[in-house]
Amino acid sequence: MATLQQQIADKFLTKLAESKDVDAERIDQLRSLLADSKKLKAEDLVKVFSLPAGGDIK
Amino acid sequence: MIKLETAHIEEVRGIRKLDIDFRKEKFAISGPNGSGKSGVIDAIEFGLTGQIGRLTGRGTKGLSVSEHGPHVDKTKFPDAAFVELQVFLTELGKSVTITRKVSSPKKPKIEPPDDDVKAALAEIADHPEITLSRREILRFILVEPTKRSEEIQTILKLDEIGQTRSAFNTAQNKLQSAHKNATAQVQSGRHAVELHLQITTLRAEDLLEGVNKRRKLLGLPEIAELTADAKLDSGLSAAAKTPDFNKQSALRDLKALSDAAKGFPDLAKTEAAAIVSDLAKLEGDPALLAALQRRSFIEKGLDLVDGPECPLCDTPWKDEQHLRDHLKAKLAKSEEARKLQQALLNNGTALAQEAIRVVGLLGLVQKVAEGQGEGGVAQPLTGWKTDLEELKAKLTTVEGLTGLKDRLTGGWLEMPKALPKSLNGLTDKVNAKADQTDTLDAQTFLTTAQVRLGDYREAMRKNKAAEVASASAKAAYEIYCSVLEDELNTLYDEVQEDFSTFYRAINEEDEAKFTAKLTPSEGKLELDVNFYERGLFPPSAYHSEGHQDGMGVCLYLALMKRLFGDRFTFALLDDVVMSVDAGHRYQFCKLLKTHFPDTQFIITTHDRLWAEQMKSAGLVTAKTSIAFHSWTIDTGPLVESNQEIWDEIAAALGKGKVETAAGALRHHLEYVSRHLADQLGATPQFRADGNYELGELLPSVLKRMKDLCGKAADVAQSWGKDADKEAAGKRKALLSTSNAAMSVEQWAVNKAVHYNEWANFGKKDFEPVVAAFKELLGCFSCETCESWVYVTARGSPESLRCACNAISLNLKPKPK
Repeated sequence: MATLQQQIADKFLTKLAESKDVDAERIDQLRSLLADSKKLKAEDLVKVFSLPAGGDIK
Repeated sequence: MIKLETAHIEEVRGIRKLDIDFRKEKFAISGPNGSGKSGVIDAIEFGLTGQIGRLTGRGTKGLSVSEHGPHVDKTKFPDAAFVELQVFLTELGKSVTITRKVSSPKKPKIEPPDDDVKAALAEIADHPEITLSRREILRFILVEPTKRSEEIQTILKLDEIGQTRSAFNTAQNKLQSAHKNATAQVQSGRHAVELHLQITTLRAEDLLEGVNKRRKLLGLPEIAELTADAKLDSGLSAAAKTPDFNKQSALRDLKALSDAAKGFPDLAKTEAAAIVSDLAKLEGDPALLAALQRRSFIEKGLDLVDGPECPLCDTPWKDEQHLRDHLKAKLAKSEEARKLQQALLNNGTALAQEAIRVVGLLGLVQKVAEGQGEGGVAQPLTGWKTDLEELKAKLTTVEGLTGLKDRLTGGWLEMPKALPKSLNGLTDKVNAKADQTDTLDAQTFLTTAQVRLGDYREAMRKNKAAEVASASAKAAYEIYCSVLEDELNTLYDEVQEDFSTFYRAINEEDEAKFTAKLTPSEGKLELDVNFYERGLFPPSAYHSEGHQDGMGVCLYLALMKRLFGDRFTFALLDDVVMSVDAGHRYQFCKLLKTHFPDTQFIITTHDRLWAEQMKSAGLVTAKTSIAFHSWTIDTGPLVESNQEIWDEIAAALGKGKVETAAGALRHHLEYVSRHLADQLGATPQFRADGNYELGELLPSVLKRMKDLCGKAADVAQSWGKDADKEAAGKRKALLSTSNAAMSVEQWAVNKAVHYNEWANFGKKDFEPVVAAFKELLGCFSCETCESWVYVTARGSPESLRCACNAISLNLKPKPK
């Protein structure tokens, strides 16, 4: 049986992908973070969300 | 998960040396208080997890496994204290051995040392909640909602989830703040472009109009569209691009700063005043200040936790989780401080954004000053810029704001006093310069415009990135919270349903329609229970303490079921079953049997009757239960056993320890008398407190047995069964001729046993006493199966028998 943490992480990532609010690259990075470490650090998340976005900035 | 096969315990807690065969079955350990039952639970818990719950947590300061885990006589030899458990790993189908010494609790010896075995045992070690003790049971029921929430979150390991949510929240707050600053940078950059181009709104059309006017003058092609890569000064020679001083632009920059400076004293005055007010509130309320300081301090500490040692004070904790829980509990207590903190940071951020805009203006004038060789003007501007940059950083933390009260009370920007004069001087100097030729003006206009547009674009790029980062973090946080809430609601619904089902199962006679409601809210978990269909109330409102205890066990079982699902195969219930009302114990046994058929509960109780009820209900058997009759510091728990007790007494006498032997005999007689009084339906003088003395019980048991044997003989005669009549008569005669039976009222019970004078006997004096009682008790047990005799049915006995039916005396006379 998956742990509650795993269940929440899986559903979170699925919903995040559906929402299209966050690009696929960031979602992959979040997946790694959530899988790699129990102790998720805010600084690690800041780095993930601060990744260069796509090329739509003129 | 696991099932326990055997345990070998040496020199742990109150145990010297003990082997128990748990057979992977539900198992009962009974014995009076202080007989060593909980020591067994401690030892098993230690063997599995390396921890002893009784030595940690609230009220256990100064206690530790290393110092207080070994038997009190072995504290200096912790190596001698160890537990060896043979454990069956249900998912791997393997039987393994784990040996753990008190001297090295974190380094158990595991056989076989396979990785999968180690991983399975490590999982168990991570679940100390497999042990539920009496003192913990009410923490689910009789606590305030915030505490209950913490307790349940701990047991379900929701703290890790909470930590993840907190990290997402912190990340979104940081990125939101970064986005605000980036936006302020954009505004500053845009203002610089607008100022240079003399336009009020930065639109491509207006920008190109001003730019193309100069390009036309220079004979350069017009720029038709302001594309992302458009260069405003394209076509200028490299030499023409070098000077970027544009007199008119410089004058506008100087004027902009001069004009702005007039408003500096009132800049963000409201926000600054609010900060000062909040800071004053803090000064006037030391407790609030302390809470806020601690909050910030603890938040930092929580972020730095990376092991069981506190990063703030180096205090060692039982484990990292306990430390985290401790710090989180402190944070939860300072809600008012949190609100104040938020207000301070919001206003601080507003000031920081104003500071960014001022710094932007200063940068423009600083360049002019440097270009004009006016070090006397440029230097203070540089110093002020640096000061404002530092101030900006301070404005976004509570610690920083706390030190800024004086500055925020006056003009917080702290504009250098000489600035207006310097600006005037510089303006005069620039004004005094000869007007630039139209060509040079156009060239420098374009180069300056390009530089400022470049800066603006860069600021926009950064702002866009910050916006995307902030929006992503915000979306992720909100989605995480939404998923978390849905999952927790589902979880609590399931727990609530199971809890109600379990409670109804043990109270089916009086609360068959019992329901419960768990209501989670921010940091709280309300629990309301139905009271005889009169509505939902807190558990402590109307239910008796016994019922509340039952709720505690049921909620624990519901939580464990949700935590482990089908893998809930093992739990240690240390004297918690006692808390179930006497009238509901059979139903409780039924609950454990039917709802948890594959779970091995190891249950301790100090109530002998309850131990027997567990057997009668079929929850445990004679082979899956053990009784301690007493405990001594030298021997540890003394196991109740019809045969072994005499061996133990003989062994003690062999060593000349009459006192030990006397104590063992006395406790054995107490146990047997109580047990037989119950089994045979003896009628001692009733005591409301149930605390019958041996001197009250044993004589009534003797009398009852004689009566039963006499009745059995009469009944056998009525049926014409001579053999049965002879058997009954023989047993009655044996009772009457027993030395102990004859003496029991004279000296053994009333005097020696009650006052324990046996302890003063010599070995040779005491041996006949032992022999006499052994002979006496032999009258009450079966030679074949060694079980004690009992009557059935209890209310109106129809037969006197033993477990194997080798003894079976009819008590129902032939109808006349």
